[in-house]
Amino acid sequence: RPPPPSAGRPSVEECVDLWEGVFGERGVSEPRLSSEYIVAHVLGANTLASLARRGLAAVLTEAQTQRVWDLCARRLERMPVQYVIEEWDFRDLTLKMRPPVFIPRPETEELVGLVLTDLQHSRGPDQRGAVLASGPSLRFLEVGCGSGAISLSLLKSLPQARAVAVDRSPAAVSLAEENAHRLGLQDRLDLMELDVMTDAQAVLSHCGLFDFIVSNPPYVFSADMAALEPEILRFEDPGALDGGADGMDVIRHILSLAQQILPVGGKVYLEVEPRQPEMLQQRPGAGLQYTATHRDFSHRPRFCVLQRGRG
Amino acid sequence: MRNFVRQFSLRFYKHCFSLAVPPAARSLRQLACNQHPSVRAGPLRIERLQHALRKNLRRHCCSGTRDLLQEEPVKKHLEGLFREYEQVTHRLQNPALSDSERRALSRRQVELLPMASVLEETERAWKDLKDVEAILQSAEGKDDQMVMLVEEEQNIIAKRIEALQRQLLENLVPSDRHDGSDVILEVAAGRTTGGDICQQFTREIFEMYLAFASYKNWAFEVLNYTPAEYGGLHHAAARVSGENVYKYLKYEGGTHRVQRIPEVGLSSRMQRIHTGTMTIIVLPQPSEIDIHLDPKDLRIDTFKSKGAGGQSVNTTDSAVRIVHIPTGTTVECQQERSQLHNRDTAMKMLRAKMYQQITEKETEKRHSFRKLQVGTRSQSERVRTYNFTQDRVTDHRIGCVARDIKEFLRGGEPLDEFIRQLLKYAEKEALLEMLENSSPSKAGE
Repeated sequence: RPPPPSAGRPSVEECVDLWEGVFGERGVSEPRLSSEYIVAHVLGANTLASLARRGLAAVLTEAQTQRVWDLCARRLERMPVQYVIEEWDFRDLTLKMRPPVFIPRPETEELVGLVLTDLQHSRGPDQRGAVLASGPSLRFLEVGCGSGAISLSLLKSLPQARAVAVDRSPAAVSLAEENAHRLGLQDRLDLMELDVMTDAQAVLSHCGLFDFIVSNPPYVFSADMAALEPEILRFEDPGALDGGADGMDVIRHILSLAQQILPVGGKVYLEVEPRQPEMLQQRPGAGLQYTATHRDFSHRPRFCVLQRGRG
Repeated sequence: MRNFVRQFSLRFYKHCFSLAVPPAARSLRQLACNQHPSVRAGPLRIERLQHALRKNLRRHCCSGTRDLLQEEPVKKHLEGLFREYEQVTHRLQNPALSDSERRALSRRQVELLPMASVLEETERAWKDLKDVEAILQSAEGKDDQMVMLVEEEQNIIAKRIEALQRQLLENLVPSDRHDGSDVILEVAAGRTTGGDICQQFTREIFEMYLAFASYKNWAFEVLNYTPAEYGGLHHAAARVSGENVYKYLKYEGGTHRVQRIPEVGLSSRMQRIHTGTMTIIVLPQPSEIDIHLDPKDLRIDTFKSKGAGGQSVNTTDSAVRIVHIPTGTTVECQQERSQLHNRDTAMKMLRAKMYQQITEKETEKRHSFRKLQVGTRSQSERVRTYNFTQDRVTDHRIGCVARDIKEFLRGGEPLDEFIRQLLKYAEKEALLEMLENSSPSKAGE
């Protein structure tokens, strides 16, 4: 059981320190940050740093104290902070988070960056405006959209682009829809509840050709699933993580779909497990060429770019 | 006028005789001046202005015998500017001008206009003053009431002239191209023994600038904040944006000292006066900084997961630290929940720092004799002391003193006044520097 709220009204600092201690004792991961984010959230801020401007000696109201205690109790159950405070930031967006929809990881922010840079380069730096202006023709597909982070972030940066995003989890589709509405991007995003493993034909018949495909598909090796931290195992949809024996189940379906819905030269941008770029490089799938591997901020090979070849 | 001059000359005396006068400053002292004929004697308007200006300057210069041809550059400078203004105005009346010529001339006219109008207005004021003096002379020994009225008028005109001269000084002083920039303000506690007193002080100072920002209607975004024990602050950084932020904060950089009997922490057990320090770095953040940083030179520290990373780890650690390896320059940001966002901000901070380092040498050269140094070099310089036991804040550069530390730390009027004094002082220094640099006769010294 969590400790009861102290008799007097605690200050921000006291709250953060107290819960850091409790989390630490109970073996909750990232005890300091968890405590900081929850207290900051209750006080209407994103981080303790942005709260610092009001002073850490500020005292919480009774209602705020109660709320901190309620939320921290959830964190004690190992619920991820992102679910506890029901939101998280992805690049410049703030997204609603709800279990069991997959929580976007920091690596995926880089995947979006990679796509944006690549789009600029492939059209030439001097035609950078053209990417934006020729927007109506720019149309992409996201497989396994989860909360919608990738699609929404790309649509935000490419004001003329349109997207189709699919996910096999109804919870994910409805959360992505909610996020799209909150960000005012719903008009350019079509969401479909669909499993590319079984309903690839539906994408083909409904949507026609796309300029590119982007995906952060489930890529964890089945054998590694059991070792995941309790935050992930207990709260996140395993279907968004488990990629089969070699983590490639969904990836293979995406690649076979790619050669049907991409024009020649159209690209697939994938976030993968560090062992997979090599596997993909050796067998990129029919009709596709492997073009590049990019490393993430931890220098792990994390992103693969493939391209539809001729013939 | 007299007050203004006296205040300033006092400070200048201090400046000249302080122990650490760099060589250039000593040579400045040699700019010194004799008593000069009355200001009002000058025949030409520019000339007269020059006299006034020179008188103003001369009060600050304290010894030496050589006459003051050294101010010739200023005179020439002003005359030149006014002549140029007249020429530009004249040329603009020519209908045969090409568009580009016209544009260039108009731009120049706009640039010169403030100076020219102050000059003209000052000329009028001198004329008025002369008239009033003539009246006074003719009224000698006559109507007392009339004399009083005229004397009052004389005072008013003198004040106007004083104000105009101040304006003229402001126009003359080369403006700092970063004055309008936003700023990254970094604070860090000193590492002297009894670190807790430094950390406590660092927090108070950080909060003072936070309050000052709101007093000035500036935005204050905390970029990183690392608290310390006993409610202290280890280090923090903030982006301050708004009107002329750099102008007002640039002289805040340096080492700030505190003297007090600690209230909390380890040192509080002994009821002795402790001395602690904290440093402030103020970096201008021009909107466009074009600095290429080689990715190879950067070490970007972020949360590092064990194992495969990606989907197999859920972290909320979005803090970013970037080290520029060749220079050891380090920045960190933990303002946002998005790691990428923090990285962008950290890169901006790093660019601002590198920019500062690059421009610093040049600035240092230019300002070698200035007492008010700007930039990271001055970090080692003790600029201000907050003496709690004596309830007094002292700026060591200009000898400015404020009472009531508590009020001062609220970051309102008293701090603003301090900064205004610093700016005024800096303006004079810049003017003296301009004299120094534009005088060819000084070249050999």
